[in-house]
Amino acid sequence: MTRGIDLSINFCGVTFPNPFCLSSSPVGNTYDMCARAFDMGWGGVVYKTVGLDYEVKITHPSPRLNPLHRGSQRVVGLQNVEQISDRPTKDNFVDLARLKKNYPHKALVASIMGLTHATDWEKLAKMAEDAGADMIECNFSCPQMTVEGTGHKAGQDTAVVEKLTSITKSACSIPVMAKMTPNVADMLPLALAAQAGGADAISAINTVKALTGVDLDTATPLPNVGGKSSSSGYSGTAVKPIGLRFISDMARDERLKIPLSGMGGIYTWIDCVEYLLLGASTLQVTTAILQHGFRIVEDMDEGLSDYLVDHGYESVQQMVGKAVRNVVEPNQLSHATQAISVIDHDKCIGCGQCFLTCRDGAAQAISIQDDRMPIVDEDECFGCLMCKHICPVQDCITYKTVPHHQATA
Amino acid sequence: MNVQQAIDEANRCLLCHDAPCSQACPGGTDPAKFIRQIRFMNLKGAARTVLGNNPLGGVCANVCPTDDTCVRACLRSGIGQPIDIDGLQRFAVDYGRSQGVKAFAKGKELPHKVAVIGAGPAGLTAAARLATYGYPVTIFEARKQAGGMLRYGVPETRLTVEDLETDLNEITALGVEIRTNTRIESKNAAAKLLDEGYSAVFVAPGLWKPLALNIPGADLDGVTTALTFLDDARVAPETIRTLVKDQFVAIIGGGSVAMDVATTAIRLGAKRVYALALEGMTELPAMGDEIIEAMELGVVIKPQAQVSKVLGENGRVVGIEGHETEWVVPGKLTPDNAKKVDGTRFSLKVGALVQAIGQGATEAVGGIITPFKSDRGLATADKQSQATTMKKVFAGGDVVRGAGTVVDAVGDGKRAAEAIHELLSEGQVAL
Ligand SMILES: Cc1cc2nc3c(=O)[nH]c(=O)nc-3n(C[C@H](O)[C@H](O)[C@H](O)COP(=O)(O)OP(=O)(O)OC[C@H]3O[C@@H](n4cnc5c(N)ncnc54)[C@H](O)[C@@H]3O)c2cc1C
Ligand SMILES: Cc1cc2nc3c(=O)[nH]c(=O)nc-3n(C[C@H](O)[C@H](O)[C@H](O)COP(=O)(O)O)c2cc1C
Ligand code: SF4
Repeated sequence: MTRGIDLSINFCGVTFPNPFCLSSSPVGNTYDMCARAFDMGWGGVVYKTVGLDYEVKITHPSPRLNPLHRGSQRVVGLQNVEQISDRPTKDNFVDLARLKKNYPHKALVASIMGLTHATDWEKLAKMAEDAGADMIECNFSCPQMTVEGTGHKAGQDTAVVEKLTSITKSACSIPVMAKMTPNVADMLPLALAAQAGGADAISAINTVKALTGVDLDTATPLPNVGGKSSSSGYSGTAVKPIGLRFISDMARDERLKIPLSGMGGIYTWIDCVEYLLLGASTLQVTTAILQHGFRIVEDMDEGLSDYLVDHGYESVQQMVGKAVRNVVEPNQLSHATQAISVIDHDKCIGCGQCFLTCRDGAAQAISIQDDRMPIVDEDECFGCLMCKHICPVQDCITYKTVPHHQATA
Repeated sequence: MNVQQAIDEANRCLLCHDAPCSQACPGGTDPAKFIRQIRFMNLKGAARTVLGNNPLGGVCANVCPTDDTCVRACLRSGIGQPIDIDGLQRFAVDYGRSQGVKAFAKGKELPHKVAVIGAGPAGLTAAARLATYGYPVTIFEARKQAGGMLRYGVPETRLTVEDLETDLNEITALGVEIRTNTRIESKNAAAKLLDEGYSAVFVAPGLWKPLALNIPGADLDGVTTALTFLDDARVAPETIRTLVKDQFVAIIGGGSVAMDVATTAIRLGAKRVYALALEGMTELPAMGDEIIEAMELGVVIKPQAQVSKVLGENGRVVGIEGHETEWVVPGKLTPDNAKKVDGTRFSLKVGALVQAIGQGATEAVGGIITPFKSDRGLATADKQSQATTMKKVFAGGDVVRGAGTVVDAVGDGKRAAEAIHELLSEGQVAL
């Protein structure tokens, strides 16, 4: 339920009614899907990446997805071998035009990818602008394109990124955003190259090249496509920390002056707030929608509204990047104090997991009494807090801060 | 449940499309939505969903027979245990309130006043909803305090006064005026209220006339009814303690109210408690968990048994006499279909007898709505709008449906409020 709080944000001159967008993927593949998403409250759509169908006919391997489950938790991560849109180019632009016509106040972003010639980008950019798109996203980041030199291969090369951005930018008058691949050691040179080519914004992350499993009987990695598999795009909850890292890397660097659109593993309003605080101005989502449908935007909207009110922000813009100054290099972290774990015996159910982790993975600081209650030897505890992290009982293990043992010894 | 437990439980939910749990709620609560909200960490939103739908959302979390409604419908049962929907509802409400969530607010004041008769779940729900639209609402309540059966019937072990009053306070904070100690009993009372300037009347006085058996000895001291027994157990527990302490107590009836009497009697010190019912063990109207709870407390259930006589000494009950029965037509569970089985006569020594065989409308109710279109001694009202045959007069809750549930009454209150709002906002009603 929307609480009627204004969550709009200006991004590259385009007003997004709220920062929540579909990211370019099958969730925004057709007019009907995007229209339903708008109706349910999404503020923007980055439409499924479109190429030129007369250059290359796109088809997808099948099955194209493989999940990573953990215990009873389904789809903590998702691998896909999907290409860009397999629909006729014309149909996609007709759909984009209809979307803009029927939803003039929503933000519409066309994602494009040239496949064979640099001039493809120019053509696609023109078509996107003609269809009424508010912005363009250049897909420099799909990790499983079957056309050599495209997707993240292009996105790993600063010269190519700068050139293609520049071609796209000069072909149209609407803002252009460059979508980055996380399959690099450092995203900054590539983001700066896009900026140099004229990009108005950076979006990140596309999927992480990965393998989610192997079929044990046939010794075939998954998804098993006719007896073979490829390492390919991994998304969902599992990649959120990687997305947060790259967004904050870019937000921290003063040379990069253009705004950011964050994505990777966004499910809840808390994920949204984290991306915003670390520097993203708009947010994009795919895997959570694949898993739960468009309805989840209601909870993002209501939760973010509550957060704004509770923390006294007057707009989403005010909170963008608020956590950035608290990200430093590891060598800048203070070593003056340390944590000591504190276990509340009134809450403890006596499972002993804290004992095991401390004995076999930490400081051997926890012992178990006859009544099953764990006791922390404060001189030995070095404050890794793994015991707190695995404890199944809410607020049972907390910690206090003391002068660092190694500093005072 | 704490936050962690609630999230764990919500994570078991399948987040079904077109969720059957939500369709199964007579009060229109949307469990699938508030569970999804918990799952997606929208914890305050979950409270808004529960209370926005049902101002007695806190009460319902405690008293709803969910095994018969949402939990029974839960598709998770197909692959294991159903979701603990009542637990999650309690969590949502408590958590939301701890964070200062206000699910509803008083609407901009409108000119039409509305009168409500009875401050039970039906009347309270209608009043709350009308107040959020902006109508000034006055509830006329016969008893000393608001709540109806929630305060004077449902045992405290299931619903504490504190939980009841938390919900009540939010309703009165909307500006709803509750005139307690004000029994409406004059003839044509609804018409008179309209004459006095109320633009619509919602009649929700519940069923407060205990039914009693017409058998020899029924007038002896120590023979009472479930309503009186449970009412006293809440407002004057000492009288009930004196009545049952160290006594053998018999209860006539096998429904939920009989089980409430039985467990209350045990808690207040009865030595042995019998519940005698005409139904067979698997036919008892009480819910499975109520029967199990009673039996675990030591209640002896005597199925297919009929009490025919109360034995007395010096004007006080000392025992009962009866016989076992069988149905003439199997499956037709009405007293006139029960037949005595020869050779099964029994007698029990008891110091108190409680009749839990149902309740009907009090005489006063017949006079409120005129003409009182009566069906089984109940008021009749349209199922969609709760409208009665009298213009601008609506009715709902137990007085219309017979002994129902809190959430049924809540549903009626909501429907009546919507219909009254429709009537008054159409501007057809002159001030
Ligand atoms: C012992 C017992 C236990 C129950 N337990 C449960 C349970 O666990 N869960 C559940 O869902 N349901 C339970 N029920 C049923 C539930 O309480 C009722 O269905 C529900 O309260 C009906 O609501 P109501 O608003 O129609 O009437 P009531 O709750 O009966 O409220 C009617 C109100 O009107 C007032 N009133 C009556 N006549 C007049 C008059 N002439 N003028 C002014 N005021 C008047 C009464 O004093 C009362 O406050 C139980 C019922 C009983 C008797
Ligand atoms: C099945 C699938 C198809 C995708 N197709 C595209 C695409 O065509 N273009 C693109 O830029 N990103 C594509 N992506 C990447 C997503 O837009 C997004 O960057 C990534 O999934 C991380 O976000 P998430 O964790 O919310 O899914 C695809 C992702 C998935 C799962
Ligand atoms: S029916 Fe059960 S599993 Fe399905 S949405 Fe409702 S509570 Fe969840």
